[in-house]
Amino acid sequence: MITEERPAVPHGHVCWSYDDSAAFDDAARRYLSAGLAAGEQGWYVGPDPAEVARERLAGLPDLDGALRRGDLRIVPPWSAYPPDGLVDPVGQVRAYATATDAALAAGHTGLRVVADATGLAATPAQRDRFARYEHRVDRFMRARPFSAMCAYDRLRLGDPAVAELACLHPYTNAPGLLFRLSACGPGDDCAELAGELDPSNHELFAAALERAELRPVDGELRLCGPRLRYIDHRSLTHLARYATARGAVAVLRTSLPTASRLVELLALAGVRVEAA
Amino acid sequence: MRTGAASDHQGYFHEAVCYGSDEELLAITVPFLRDGVAAGEPTIVAFGAEHAALVRSALPAATAVEFLSGGDLYARPAAAIRAYRALLATHVARGVGQIRIIGELSPAMLGVTWDWWARYESAINHAYDEFPLWSMCAYDTRTAPPEVLTEVARTHPRYATADGRHVPSEHYVEPEVYLAENRLPVPDPLQLTPPAVELADPTAAEARRAVYAAAGGRLPLEQVEDLVVAVSETVTNAVRYGRPVVCLRVWACDDRVVVSVTDRGAGPTDPFAGLLPARDGGPGGLGLWITHQSCSHVAHYRDVDGFTIRLTAGDPHFRTDAAPRAELTASPATG
Repeated sequence: MITEERPAVPHGHVCWSYDDSAAFDDAARRYLSAGLAAGEQGWYVGPDPAEVARERLAGLPDLDGALRRGDLRIVPPWSAYPPDGLVDPVGQVRAYATATDAALAAGHTGLRVVADATGLAATPAQRDRFARYEHRVDRFMRARPFSAMCAYDRLRLGDPAVAELACLHPYTNAPGLLFRLSACGPGDDCAELAGELDPSNHELFAAALERAELRPVDGELRLCGPRLRYIDHRSLTHLARYATARGAVAVLRTSLPTASRLVELLALAGVRVEAA
Repeated sequence: MRTGAASDHQGYFHEAVCYGSDEELLAITVPFLRDGVAAGEPTIVAFGAEHAALVRSALPAATAVEFLSGGDLYARPAAAIRAYRALLATHVARGVGQIRIIGELSPAMLGVTWDWWARYESAINHAYDEFPLWSMCAYDTRTAPPEVLTEVARTHPRYATADGRHVPSEHYVEPEVYLAENRLPVPDPLQLTPPAVELADPTAAEARRAVYAAAGGRLPLEQVEDLVVAVSETVTNAVRYGRPVVCLRVWACDDRVVVSVTDRGAGPTDPFAGLLPARDGGPGGLGLWITHQSCSHVAHYRDVDGFTIRLTAGDPHFRTDAAPRAELTASPATG
C-alpha cells in the first residue's frame, strides 16, 4: 500500500504561505479537523462565497453536521475583520477575544480560525497594521484557548511581503524564512527569537521588532532563544539600539556561545546575553 | 613625562630585540624594566614561562614589574591588539607619562602562522601610536627562522641592542605599505586534498550549514561556533563587496578545520582590515575584525583566482614536512 506523506500541520499560531490553493485547502481542513476533534469551534474566513468555501472544506468529517450545529462557521472577511480592510491591531484582538468567550460560552473548548488574510495585507500600510496585529494576537493565543492559521497567497503578495508576516508566527511554511519572532508566554514580559539572524534578514528583523512593539519590564527587554541557531553582530547591535531607545537593556537568553562573545567584543551596552 | 630612549618621542616607540643568548636578553631587558620601575612607569613583561622566570631571577626581589601571561595575550593578533589597547587606555586614563612593555611570541607562532603575526608587528605601529608606549619585541636569533628576522626588520622602526643603543632599522616599512603587500600564507597540506565541501556562490546560511556538516564532532563546539561566525561574515563580505563567483571550500581533519572563501574581487582596501575594526565603519571592516577574533589563524591573499580568505579553527600549526598524504586526506562530506 502506498500512502501519500503530507507535511504535518502544527497547532497554535501558524502562517501558511501558499501558491497552490488545493494544498492550502488540505492544510486548512487538517488544521480545523484537529480543532473540531478537540471540541473547539472552528471558523473558516476567506474571500470566497460561502458555497465555494464549503466546497473547499469538503472532506472534513461530518462537515454538514458541524456547520449545522455551529461547531464550524464559514465567516466572510468583512464580518471577522474591518470592512475597509485596515485592521486595528488592538481592536482585532479584542474582537477575537469576544469570539473566543462566545465559543466557550457555547460549550466549546476554544476557538480555532483559518483565515486567508491575503486581502488584508496587500498594501504596505495594510501589511504594517496586520503585522502589528499578528504579534498581538500571538500573545493572546498564549493566554487564551484561541488559535489561528493565517494564510497568505505568495503569488499575489510575493515572498518578501509574506516574510514580513510569517516571521511573526511561531510556525510557518514560508520558504526561505530564516528567523521568527514570537510571543513566548501569555504576558508582555518576553518574546522568543528563533532561527538564524544574519545580513540577509536584517531589515526584516528590524521591521519585526518595530511591529512587535516589545515592552520593557523593570528596565529589561526580555527575549529567549532556545531555538536560536545564529545571531550576527548587526542583529545584536540593532537589538541593543532598539532596547536603548526604549530605556531598557535587551536580555537575550540563549545557549549560543557566540552571542555573548560578540556582545563582549563589541562592548554593546544595550544588550546582555544570559546562558539559557 | 617620558623617560629613557623614548623621552623625546611622541606616540609609540617600537623596538625589536634580536638576541643570541640569555645574557644578551637580560642585558637589554633588566635595565629597561628597572628604569621603568624607578621612573614610576607601568612596566610589564609578557614572556613565556621560561623567559619570565629568567627575568624574575635577574630582578631584585619585589621589583614592581607586572608579568602577563604571554600565551593568553598572544592567542590572536587582533585580540592582542584589543587587549593591549584596553590596557594602555586604562594606564593613560590614570595619567601615566609612559608605559613600558617587553614581550615575545612563542616559538610556534614563528612557524606557519607567522604571516599574521608579521602583520600584527606592522599594524601595531599604527594601533598603539596614540599611546605613550615604549615596547620591545624579543626574538631569539638562534631559533627564529631567517624569514622571520627579515620581517622583524621591516616591521620594527628600531632595534634595542645589548650595549644600550637604539638603532634605526634601515629596512623598516610603514604599516600602510607593508600591510598592503600581498602575503601568501604557507599552504596547509589539507588544501592539497579534495575539500569536504565545495560551494559556488553560497548564501551565508548555506555556508554556515556546510561548516557545521564538515566540522561537527571534530572540534569542541565553541570552536566550531566561532568558525561558523567567521565563515558567515567572510561569505557575507565576499557576496556584498567582492565579485562573483564566490567559492567556499571546507577541509577537515582530526585537529583542525580549514575554510577558504575566494571571490573574483581585489579584497579590502583598508590595510588594517581584520586587525583593527574598520576606522570609518567601512564596508565589511567589522565582520573581518570579528573573523580575526574568532579563528586560530586567518590569512588573506590575492592570486590568479582573485581574493581569498583562509580561516582555520583548531590547531593551526600544521606540519610542513613530508607528512604521509593519507594522514592529511580530508574525510568525505558528512552532509
